[in-house]
Amino acid sequence: MSTAGFDELIHAPTRLEIVSLLAAAQWADFKYIRDELGLSDSALSKQLSTLESAGYVEIRRRFVGKRPRTSASLSTAGRQAFEKHVAALQRIVARSQQDPGARPATEADRAVPGR
Amino acid sequence: MSDTQQPSPLGSGSAEADAAAELAEIQRRQERVIESAVVPVWSWWVIALALVAIGAARDSHHTVVLAISIPLAAVVIAGAIIASLPEVRRRVRVSSAAQPDGRGGVALASLILLVIAVTIALAVILTDNRVPHPLTISYGAGAAVLVIGGPLLNKYLSRLMLSNARQHMTDAPRPGAQWRGLLSSDPGDHSPGHAGRTNDGGTA
Repeated sequence: MSTAGFDELIHAPTRLEIVSLLAAAQWADFKYIRDELGLSDSALSKQLSTLESAGYVEIRRRFVGKRPRTSASLSTAGRQAFEKHVAALQRIVARSQQDPGARPATEADRAVPGR
Repeated sequence: MSDTQQPSPLGSGSAEADAAAELAEIQRRQERVIESAVVPVWSWWVIALALVAIGAARDSHHTVVLAISIPLAAVVIAGAIIASLPEVRRRVRVSSAAQPDGRGGVALASLILLVIAVTIALAVILTDNRVPHPLTISYGAGAAVLVIGGPLLNKYLSRLMLSNARQHMTDAPRPGAQWRGLLSSDPGDHSPGHAGRTNDGGTA
């Protein structure tokens, strides 16, 4: 088994947060995601559009009364990609635990690249 | 295929730490979603205060007070319950895989029954002993059980939902079945079923 499954699209920090959040939900309101992640409307829209274009996220727009309400959910493909990504991460961590010569992780190591 | 035959997706010597940090972030997000789904603490307090109001109204033996306060308290309780539902707040709906199973229902029913039992038992005892304001006191005791037990129920349901979510990932016949060890509190909890380790064959 390889790290095939590691998904560069999901790996990006903001998208990882979005997909992680949606993976635990059937759907989430746009405002909920925005507030949870501390993003601006435009930043979240951009990331959701990217994920939607990849087929990972489904966006639902509807009206409640006269107010537009947008919610997002992980598509089947998105959920599968996320699970494979998690599995790939797990393998990376497991590999280091298997190797007795591996350098122990430090706090400095915990900074995710690109954040 | 060995991992070493591919460039590390995380691309540095700290790939393992980065992967662990990503997994921790994933777990944190999952916990946040589940925390959003439990009944907010204020809701337990609102229901408890409404119960005390009902008790006080019944002790007043005043028809007008009863006619107004009891329906009002019932509306407040119903409103608090409805408003505390995450779907009603239109924020988020927890994944069906993480929803509490029968144990969650049993826990909720147990709390309700405990509140009712404490309230009725105390009301009977206090009334028999001619204690003033027996219903206010007994409803207040029931309310206290609710205020203490509600947040405890929240914690239990949160743990149950997190466990269900992880179990779902673990049971699924796919690579994601390796979640359990990583997302558990024990970092060494890697079950023998984690085939990825042995099949990788590569070193970091």
